[in-house]
Amino acid sequence: MSWKAIDRNQPVIEKDAAPVLSEAVREKIRSFFPRYETKRAVLLPALHIVQNTLGYISWQAMAEIAEILEIHPADVMNTTSFYTHFWTHPKGEKVVTVCRSISCEAMGGAKMLDTIKKELGIDEHGTTKDGRYSLVTEECLAGCDHAPCLLINEKMHKCVKAEDIPTLLADVDNNKLSMPRSDLFDPPSEKQAASATMQDSVVGTTSDVSEMREAE
Amino acid sequence: MAKIIIDSQEIECRDGVTALQAAIEAGWDVPHYCYHPGLSVVASCRLCLMEMKMPHPQTKEMGWAPKLLPSCQTPAREGMEIRFNTEKVKKNQENCMEFFLLNHPLDCPVCDQAGECHLQDYSYKFGKAESRMVDQKLKNPKKDIGPRTLLYSDRCVMCTRCVRFTQEVSGTHELSIVNRGSRVEIDVFPGLPLDNPLQGNVVDICPVGCLLDKDFLFQRRVWELKRGESVCPGCARGCSISIDHVDEKVYRLKPRFNPKVNDWWMCDEGRFGYEYIHDKKRISSPLVRRGLEQTTPNWEDVPAVLRYRFEQFVKAQGGAKVVAVLSPFMANEEAWLLAKFIRDVAPEASLAIGPVPYEGDDQIFPAKASGDGIKFTILKEKAPNRKGIESLLESLGGSTLTCEQFVEKAGAGEFMAAWVVGGYPKPWVDKDTAKLAGKFDLLVAQDIFENEFTTKADIVLPACAWAEREGSFTNADGLSQPFHWAIVPPDGARRDGQYLFEIAGETGLFSAARVREMMAASVPNLSQVYESQRKPAHAH
Amino acid sequence: MAAFEPVLLRNRGVEGSTTLKVYESRGGYQAVRKALKQTPDEIVAEVKKANLRGRGGAGFPAGVKWGFLPKDRKKTLLCVNGDESEPPTFCNRVLMEHDPHQLIEGTIIAAYAVQAQTVYIYLRGEFHEQFHIVQKAVDQAYAAGYLGKKIFGSDFSIEMYLHRGAGAYVCGEETGLIESLEGKRGWPRIKPPFPAIEGAFRLPTVVNNVETLSCVPHIIERGADWFTGIGPAHSAGPKLFCISGPVKRPGCYEGAMDITVRELIEREDMGGGMIDGKHVKAVFPGGCSMGILSADELDMKLDFDDPRNFGLLGLGTAAAVVIPHDMDMRVVLRNMARFYGTESCGQCTQCREGTAWMHKIATRIAADAGRPEDLDVLLETARNMGMMPGLSICGLPDGATFPIETTVKKFRSELEEYILAQPKGRAEYLLRVLN
Repeated sequence: MSWKAIDRNQPVIEKDAAPVLSEAVREKIRSFFPRYETKRAVLLPALHIVQNTLGYISWQAMAEIAEILEIHPADVMNTTSFYTHFWTHPKGEKVVTVCRSISCEAMGGAKMLDTIKKELGIDEHGTTKDGRYSLVTEECLAGCDHAPCLLINEKMHKCVKAEDIPTLLADVDNNKLSMPRSDLFDPPSEKQAASATMQDSVVGTTSDVSEMREAE
Repeated sequence: MAKIIIDSQEIECRDGVTALQAAIEAGWDVPHYCYHPGLSVVASCRLCLMEMKMPHPQTKEMGWAPKLLPSCQTPAREGMEIRFNTEKVKKNQENCMEFFLLNHPLDCPVCDQAGECHLQDYSYKFGKAESRMVDQKLKNPKKDIGPRTLLYSDRCVMCTRCVRFTQEVSGTHELSIVNRGSRVEIDVFPGLPLDNPLQGNVVDICPVGCLLDKDFLFQRRVWELKRGESVCPGCARGCSISIDHVDEKVYRLKPRFNPKVNDWWMCDEGRFGYEYIHDKKRISSPLVRRGLEQTTPNWEDVPAVLRYRFEQFVKAQGGAKVVAVLSPFMANEEAWLLAKFIRDVAPEASLAIGPVPYEGDDQIFPAKASGDGIKFTILKEKAPNRKGIESLLESLGGSTLTCEQFVEKAGAGEFMAAWVVGGYPKPWVDKDTAKLAGKFDLLVAQDIFENEFTTKADIVLPACAWAEREGSFTNADGLSQPFHWAIVPPDGARRDGQYLFEIAGETGLFSAARVREMMAASVPNLSQVYESQRKPAHAH
Repeated sequence: MAAFEPVLLRNRGVEGSTTLKVYESRGGYQAVRKALKQTPDEIVAEVKKANLRGRGGAGFPAGVKWGFLPKDRKKTLLCVNGDESEPPTFCNRVLMEHDPHQLIEGTIIAAYAVQAQTVYIYLRGEFHEQFHIVQKAVDQAYAAGYLGKKIFGSDFSIEMYLHRGAGAYVCGEETGLIESLEGKRGWPRIKPPFPAIEGAFRLPTVVNNVETLSCVPHIIERGADWFTGIGPAHSAGPKLFCISGPVKRPGCYEGAMDITVRELIEREDMGGGMIDGKHVKAVFPGGCSMGILSADELDMKLDFDDPRNFGLLGLGTAAAVVIPHDMDMRVVLRNMARFYGTESCGQCTQCREGTAWMHKIATRIAADAGRPEDLDVLLETARNMGMMPGLSICGLPDGATFPIETTVKKFRSELEEYILAQPKGRAEYLLRVLN
């Protein structure tokens, strides 16, 4: 078996497949162009947006991003594979990111991770059968003062005790942030999709500056 | 020329080179993987680290810097002092070799690269005998990354030369790096395989057995191969190549460094365009036809037969009815010898150039590059020596014809005796040309494969492939470069140069250099050839 | 000891400290107004005079860095390094969480000083809440006319963009950050050319840490002399210290760089001592890359110079984590080795292969299958990977070797005890099974 080579000549994207990125997503990616000197530099924002829209970055999504940024799909694959944040296969609705840095380990992080594994019935990088949870570990979440800590999607849970984990995982709102959010990397909203181009807005901001000025 | 001091020896180096390049050119075998003079510097293999004298930050006194510096990244500057022969440098080389071999499968017995592998060479020279790692090795997969290439990731040393090649030279970007840390691999995007006209070079520049040529896979151990120096006949560029062969069989072609033409590279068309040499259908012996009678003459008799036939013809019909068609696949020396013979028997004979094949357009790499940005060119003119033949015709003067003029005049019946040279690797006689074959009273066809001319010819001479011949080709830029025979012609055949030498009335062994001396008076511009200097064996 | 009057953290705990309104009401955005009346060179000179050493770990003076920019440059970029990934460091997080406008103000001043009209704030991908906070603050600053065209009515214009990373420790290295900003894998670049000459998009680029830039408004407002008056001369200015692990008050505290590790752990206004009757076995005093201290070395001063006297790489991020007495040092060793094994970018040979090898060995030792000679192999691998001065393109392998080397050296007897207590033949058995 070890002599068998993986065949990379076979395409993984179906011919004539319908595009996975909507025009609104493409437009949102393009709206980042004025921020950088090169189109390639928009790759990280684009990957964030695509992952937030589709849940993961499929081969086809990579090829479509490459087309928008005018680079080779292999370059998109290159960057995507370097960063641990990007998923190249479907993930669960909520991603539990467990910190395993030294502070969390000193405060019982290993036990926390084991409990989560048992509770969800999955191992690291696994996804539950119902598709609700995926589990990953991260080297440090910079929440050492609240060790052990974990992220559920964007929300950080601090000082997590092993015995609290069943309640935490059962909570439907455990991934909701109770704070004003920026939609910079979110899937395009209907408003953005409708207006298509965001030329008038200030490129550095995510809010409507004129509205904010009036409110002042 | 800058003077620098390496290991207490003063050497002179070219301007604008790095310390590593200077050391290599001066004869130092400095181990290196990621550095390649034709690619950008990444300084990531950390094998070529050296010690350098630098001013002390406070006292400004010159002394050896405590930090080892990458010689591939440090430009050679006048008066700089560096050293490789210290314990510190050697220790680093030894450690690096241990690191490189940690996860290496040590499958040299089944590896094509064994014998020309820089992992082997460096381990032997700079490494240590044993690995201290007892844990399980990482096993990275083998991948089929393109129609002609395999990638065995477990042998990779992550020099990224191949990736930089596709980015900087071919400009096609198929190869990329995936993952990170010890899990890094080279890969292609699935369905977009490594398939560009220059891709074979990635196998050449791979310092280990990671990238493999399917064509050469498991064919031969490299230490059995003999290397002949030659020029690629694939197009009018005339890339310097070497022919790796054994037992009179060509196994592979490799580019040879030539700063005036191809630098370090060659194209796949040339690289894999040698198969026709071993075609069973080749003409391998001379043939004389008299009516329906066919005989195979002794080579010793061929010159006399030809001279007799042509002299008889000229006596009967006059020299102006004689034409010789010189193929752009002939070497300058061969063409000159044939012209000499023809003009000898018929001073008013015409000399014509044979058809020059063209395919598509010139291709430049990276596409859309211009000026110095162009790293490689494949020409649409698919013959090695049009320029040489044209130059020869111009120097010799008299009645000379373009190919079109020859076709027109021969079609009009102006020539009754012809010596037509082919030697094209692909069929070259088109419908219109084929009609000419029956128009001559005396036809000599010198060719490699059967065609309308050879079937109708009174005398057939086998032409040899360039790998069996010796001479020089003049490329599209007018640069004449010598090539040497690597293998012997098929049984029964003789080198074109040898029999033309004898037909032209000379005796002894044909030697291209000797013919060039003889040519000096009549065609001075073709008698000088350029041969690129050999790279030192430790430069790669 | 007199309580330190917080400078960088003065707005922490104030209701609505992330809003422009509250920040301004507490004297915010005055320094930038003052700065815009001076020439850029005057600001660079002031910061140089303050000897503001980079808070990201290397301690390189910020003003000197700014001075490296070529005089005849056309366009300059400023990158804010918010890729805080060094365990157990979180001071940048605290700054961004509680006082994003302080960072924005410092960044505007720095951008004016180096005449950079484009600023990228590079945030690590794991910072979600912090991203929203900073982005909202940037939005407010734009709305107030503090960012954008002709800020504060001056002729200076500035665009500020947030750029999010995606989980890579090495992107905190300034050239790794630049590569990541360009949309590539975060492989650090070879130097020279240094970013100040040729950085992101081949333009002169300055990369500064969040904490470094947060100091800038205060230097401008109160002057370099005030700044150098805090703490020892070689380590001037207020500094954020992080303390985590089993202490009573884990958190981020501000002080001058004249305190010791012991004070950081035990002072009532800082760590507050250990919990649950635990006691200190070891401390990583400056982020794990700097190395480990044993319990009898706690009198090390947390400044830029003293850590070298204890066999450490440097001050690093001044983030300490306490290893309690009941923690197995093999676990610490494995944790360290795994971190660098996972985070090595894979470019340089020593680091790519060495970190993975150390991880294998440390994992095996922690799994009760160590061999006595493994400790020597670990030490030698660490040394072969390049202790200072390093052998690689960036400093990651240096950071990877220090915790391993110091842990093995300082806790060798404990590690050996564990290895000797293993069932006989277990290492050999496991190796046979695994291979």
